[in-house]
Formats: sequence, structure tokens, C-alpha cells
Amino acid sequence: MRLRPKRTPVSAAILWIYSLLTLLLLCYMTYQSLRPKKELLSATFGMPKHFGFGNFRKLFAEAGFFTYLLNSALILFGSLAIVVLLSTMVAYGIGKFNFRFKGGLLLYFLIGLMFPVQLGIVPIFLLIRDMHLLNSQWAVILVLASGLSMPVFLLTTFFARLPHDLYESAKIDGAGEWTTFLRVMFPLASPVTFSVCIIMSMQIWNQFFVPLIFLQSESRKTIPLMIMKFTTNVLYNMDLALVGSVMATVPLLILFFFFSGRVIEGVAAGGVKG
Amino acid sequence: MAWIRSKPFIWFILPGFLLYSLFSVYPIFSAIQISLTRWDGIGKKTFVGFGNYGELFSNPELFRQLTNALGHSATIFALNALVVLPAQLYLAYLIYGKIRGHRFFQAMIFSPQFIATPVIVFMGTLVFDGNIGVFNKLLETVGLGGWTRPWMGLPELGIYIVWLLVAWSGIGVGMIFFLGAMKMISGEIIEAALLDGASYWGRFFRIVLPQIKTTILNMLILTYIFAMTLFDYSFILGGASGGINRSVDVMALFFYRISFGDNSAVGGTTNVNAMGMGTTIACVMFVIVFAVALVQVALTYRRAED
Repeated sequence: MRLRPKRTPVSAAILWIYSLLTLLLLCYMTYQSLRPKKELLSATFGMPKHFGFGNFRKLFAEAGFFTYLLNSALILFGSLAIVVLLSTMVAYGIGKFNFRFKGGLLLYFLIGLMFPVQLGIVPIFLLIRDMHLLNSQWAVILVLASGLSMPVFLLTTFFARLPHDLYESAKIDGAGEWTTFLRVMFPLASPVTFSVCIIMSMQIWNQFFVPLIFLQSESRKTIPLMIMKFTTNVLYNMDLALVGSVMATVPLLILFFFFSGRVIEGVAAGGVKG
Repeated sequence: MAWIRSKPFIWFILPGFLLYSLFSVYPIFSAIQISLTRWDGIGKKTFVGFGNYGELFSNPELFRQLTNALGHSATIFALNALVVLPAQLYLAYLIYGKIRGHRFFQAMIFSPQFIATPVIVFMGTLVFDGNIGVFNKLLETVGLGGWTRPWMGLPELGIYIVWLLVAWSGIGVGMIFFLGAMKMISGEIIEAALLDGASYWGRFFRIVLPQIKTTILNMLILTYIFAMTLFDYSFILGGASGGINRSVDVMALFFYRISFGDNSAVGGTTNVNAMGMGTTIACVMFVIVFAVALVQVALTYRRAED
């Protein structure tokens, strides 16, 4: 019994062309990033004469790549830590305990899915201004970490299905509420937490709008904002735009290809429920 | 105290509840309230009722910008719905059928998700730019030198370039969602179709598509919300003004320009009604999104009752 035709030449060709196009683009960008600026502008398609890591040195030494990387990492891990901890706690509270306004509370956490971030950004801006957090990474972390709707939804579904015996037996063993949560429940949720981490990381790492609004000084900005700085004046900063793009992209993609199966599973798990 | 002790869940829910309320829920109501005032963000607020809404639809310059931006957002949605979505279904079905090399293709098509938007736009420049673009070079090489254009700088093409970049980078997520939905279809149905001798594409149209109807509808809604709130690509390509003749302007960018000004947002814009009109545009945007989301909820409910 055959599940699919032996030959699907057209489909195979389409898939190959699409995949190779992406790969070619990345290779082309990497190759160009190894050429000095003068050569790039005078002979973009000429045969390479000087190959080297000069542009990379310039990116790290003069353009302060590490600062941007550090800022991006701080915002990513800061928001992620808050989201994971708080959403697991909320989901556990709603999913495992019985109280009167349970359904209403879950709905309250879900309405966030309906609102584009732009709708509230002016009041958030004013709020952050009054808290004297403008131009601080904390502003971005707080705003991004408050997007609890999707994680709460996924995790509540998980906790609601969890057999109640686990909770009871932890109680009998004399564990307090917090011990039960941290030692038993939090680890149990790890497959769902993993999904949440993957989906949120992708959102936060590529987040452009929120950092743009709140971060003004160059020393606080994130990698996407750095790339934009180089590309707005592309002919002047061609070399930095190239190496910046390569540094922001290639390591991450290599990492993704190693774990692609797990990552894609995580995304799919979030999507089927969502 | 005893009352609190008997309700441990309160302590679990409270921190998340506070953060979410302060930064996600309160701003929505605050935005609606600000949209009813005339305010520059610093000075005195004047209550004007629905005056801002009236002005947005009656001031010729504002209304022109609104319709232009809305038209562009709608164009992106239409192209995504008519071209990208079917392509996502097609690709998902190929991978679902375990075509040779499906793991590699799946990773490859999904990979642009991890590329930051400014990099994607820059890659577009590397391909389509008038001077340094590969595309023009290719045209010259194959003898079509007369066709070379500064593709990235043509106002009439602007929004299609935006769409092209959006499509290339975003096709993977929808594909993965559809693939996940296809994998949930029970094996028995597929088996029965096989025994009845349905062909590969026959199964796709008669079995798989009807089975994942709900996911397709959800994806359509997500596509719509995405198109209506798109910001990054247009801002990076055209700056706050939305490009030459506002050719890449979209709703979210229009909102940004009015609220935070053409110069970067330091809270001080020259516009005396920046916050009032800005939140008004945000609310209009929200209504446009919300109306469609409600339709979805209604449809889902009706199906649940069937």
C-alpha cells in the first residue's frame, strides 16, 4: 500500500529550489561579509582579491557588537524567566484549584490574545515614563513579560488535565504549597514550558517595536536595532551591515539546525492548541 | 488570615495577575480614555468626546493617510490569504506525506523565522537593490539588461516588496501549524481513503482539507491580525514617513508616526494632539481587528453546538 506517488518531480523541485534559495542567500551574505568595504562598493560582483575577518574585527572593536548582544540577551532571558515563572504559577492556580471565578479569571487572561501591542503602547509609554524607566532594559522586559496570555492558556490546559493524586500525595508527604509547586508541579510541566520558551524566545528575540519605542541611547539597544542603524545608510556602512547581519543570523541558524526537530515540535504543540 | 490560608491559589495567581493587569489590560482602557481627549502627552488634557474620531475621518490629509495605510494592510492580507496560505497547505502536505528529505525541507523552510526583520530587509536589498543587487546582475547576465530597475526604490512596487519579504520569512510557521493539524487526523480515515483507492491529491482535497478546516480558519484570522498590525518591515524600508509617497505605509506605522512623531520618540513631538490622535488611530485599528476576531468566535461557537 503506497501512501504517496513514487515520483513527485514538480513538488520535489519546488522544495529544492526554495530551500537552496534560502541557503544561497545566506552563503552569499556570509561570503560578501568577508570582503573589505572598498572592494564591496567598487566591485560588488568582482572576483575576490582580499579575504579576511577585518570587518568582523571592526564590528567587535568599533561598533560595540558585544554591548548589543548583551542587551539582547538580557532582555530575552529576563522576560523569559518572568514569563515562565509567573505563567506557570497562574496556570497552576487556575488549573489545579477550584474556586468561584475560575472561568472568568481564565477568560480575563485570554483577552490579551485579542489586543495588538500597538493599542496599549501609548499608555504603557506614559506609565514607563512616570516610573522613570524610559531608556532602560527593564521597560522592555516588563512590557514583553506581561504578555502572559498564550503561556497561561497552554499551561492551564496542562494542569487541568493533571491527575489530582499527585497533589494529594505531595500533601500527605508533608510538603507545603510552595514545595509541592516547585518540586513536583513545575518540573512536571517542563514539556509545555519548553514549548512556551521556544515560541516566546522567537517573539522576543525578533521583537522590534517595543525596544524601538523605549530604548534611545545606543548603549542600551538590541541587535535588531543595531542592524537597522547600519542598513539605513547602507552604502556608507555596507561592511558593518553585512557582518552584523551574519553575526545576528548564522550562529542562531546553526543552533536551530541542530535542534530543529525539537524546536519545530515545540512550535507545533503551541499551534495546535492555540 | 485564616481566609487567605485556606485559599493558597491566591498567592500563585497574584503576581502574574498584577503584572498582566498593569501592562496589558489597564493600557487598553487607558488608551480608549486618552482617545477621547486632546493631548500632547505633557501638557493639559482637554476632553473632546469623539472629536478625534470625527477629525480622523473628516480631515482630508489624515483620512488620505488612513485609507492609504489601510489599503496597504489589506493588500498584504489578501496576498497572504490567496497565495501564502495555499502554499503553506501545499508544503505541509508534501512534508506530511514524508517526501524524500522532508526533515531537511521542513527545517529549511522554517529557518527564516530566526532571522531578525532588519536582516531580512537587508537581504532583500542585497537581492533587489539598484546598484548592488544580485537580481539586476542576473538580468544583465541573461541578456535582459534593459529590464534592470532600482527595485527597492520604486513606489509602485513598495508594498509588494514588503509582502515578498513577509511571505518568504513567515511561510514556515503556518506550514508547521498545518502539519501539526494534519498529524492529528486519525489514521483510520486515511486508511479508509486508501482502501477506496483515492489518489494522493484526491486525499488532499477530499480528506485532509476538510479535516483541518478549523485550523485553516484560525490561520486565516491570525494572518489577518498579523497583516493589520504589521509594522517592522514598513518602518525599516520607509522610515517613519512610510517611504516615497507613503508607498509602504501601513496602519501601525501611521499610528506610530502620529503618536511618536517623524523624529524618533523621545516623548516630545511637535504635534499638539499626538497622544489623543495616536490612541484614536490605535482604537480604530483595534476595532478593525476585533470585528473579525468576533466573527471567528461566533463561528467556533456555532460549530461547537452542531
